[in-house]
Amino acid sequence: MIRFSILFLGLVALQVSLLGQGNLLDDMAGHEDKLRADTKQVNQFFRRFNGEEDREGNRLYEDNRQYRSRKLRQGYLPYLFDLQSSISSNLKKEFIDEMTDRKSPAFLNFHENGWFAEVATDFVYKGKKSRLILFMELQPQGQGYEWVIADVLFDPFKKSFSKDTTSSKPFIHPMSHELDFMNLRKAFQGNNNPESYTKDSFEPDYVSLFLYELKNTNLKFQTVTNVKFHFFSPEGWYFELAKYNRPGMNSGWLITNLVRVDANQEKQLKAFIYDK
Amino acid sequence: MKLNKLYTFIMLAVIGFAAQAQSDNISPKRKQAIDSLALEKVKDLSKYISLIGDKKTPYSEATRVMDRAEELFAPDSEMGVSSLTSEEINYYKVRDYFNRLMALNYDKVTIKWYDIHYISDLEQQPDGKFVGVITIYQRFEGKSEDGLSYKDTTKKDITIYVEKKQTQIAGRTIEFWDVLLGDIRVAETTI
Repeated sequence: MIRFSILFLGLVALQVSLLGQGNLLDDMAGHEDKLRADTKQVNQFFRRFNGEEDREGNRLYEDNRQYRSRKLRQGYLPYLFDLQSSISSNLKKEFIDEMTDRKSPAFLNFHENGWFAEVATDFVYKGKKSRLILFMELQPQGQGYEWVIADVLFDPFKKSFSKDTTSSKPFIHPMSHELDFMNLRKAFQGNNNPESYTKDSFEPDYVSLFLYELKNTNLKFQTVTNVKFHFFSPEGWYFELAKYNRPGMNSGWLITNLVRVDANQEKQLKAFIYDK
Repeated sequence: MKLNKLYTFIMLAVIGFAAQAQSDNISPKRKQAIDSLALEKVKDLSKYISLIGDKKTPYSEATRVMDRAEELFAPDSEMGVSSLTSEEINYYKVRDYFNRLMALNYDKVTIKWYDIHYISDLEQQPDGKFVGVITIYQRFEGKSEDGLSYKDTTKKDITIYVEKKQTQIAGRTIEFWDVLLGDIRVAETTI
């Protein structure tokens, strides 16, 4: 009898366990289409953009008939946009038409300049948690490539260098040399804006400052909080690539901003992004 | 597990033989073979994680599994973990991550893996090694005795390092491709 009870209890436990597992597996079956649709890596964004992955998610190589096919790309590209963004349908259509032009289609190249990362980070700066942006680019190095810090955006640095360019700004008078520059003492004493004494062309180098503060342990890395990418490629266009972690099929790495740009606008837009 | 290792060794040797006197460029065919090997390691890791998390796994067995799991990784590999409620990434050494998983305060833990993965291209680093990322998805369910349960889905982006190595077999130098896992980014995913 006892043996029967143990067997019965065992069977019940097994059934409960299988039921629990069944629920989990049922849950999972419902999620698979979403996860398949998700543009899971930036690498996959490149493949989908270029038509180097088929609809089932298999990698296509150059010897495959579908590789970079116009039809495949025309099918993929509309779904590489954040469908909740304010990019107009007309602009998207213009972009897709240009990218998939019969005579001169445009593709993204991982190794070419024209795209860079914006990495939002938290550092502790002089004891206080502070947000710092790193702009990172790929560069050839040794036998391969590496990501390098191209620029830094950090409020405390930026606020430190607001150069006065008016005629009433402090200056070191033009005959100071005859006095062995003895007036430097006055210039530097109690002056919060010594950049007034620099050349017109003076531009602070935030990367050097960042490295200096890091080496002096005034800056201590905490964490990465967000990553996005700016593409000035293919030529004549700018788009932003951001990661969306949300329900539904329109998720993962998606184009969230799209602008047609000429050379001059590209320069202005870069200055805006770098906050120069 | 042993069969997997044997399979991996044979595959590595076959690839290695084919790799002799060839350049460092990885052809699509070899890339596919390396992808399979890397995926094999990732599957091993998945099995190990399921075992470590399983409350039925005895402590001594879990410790042994953790040792085996650690062998899959390059030195100093870390897990960077974030949740939906915090944009901050928390960093753990691989062993610490396993220990935390084992110590989770649930009475029953079920870890399942989605049959979906993505394998990136392999890019060459300055030191000549190749690096890629494999993405997989994990479904976790933890239940307490009082009936409360916690479920989540996490996306795991796993670094793989691929390096051409040499070994001597019967006095002959054979080149082969070795695959090691590296840092893993673990992010809770909305589904």
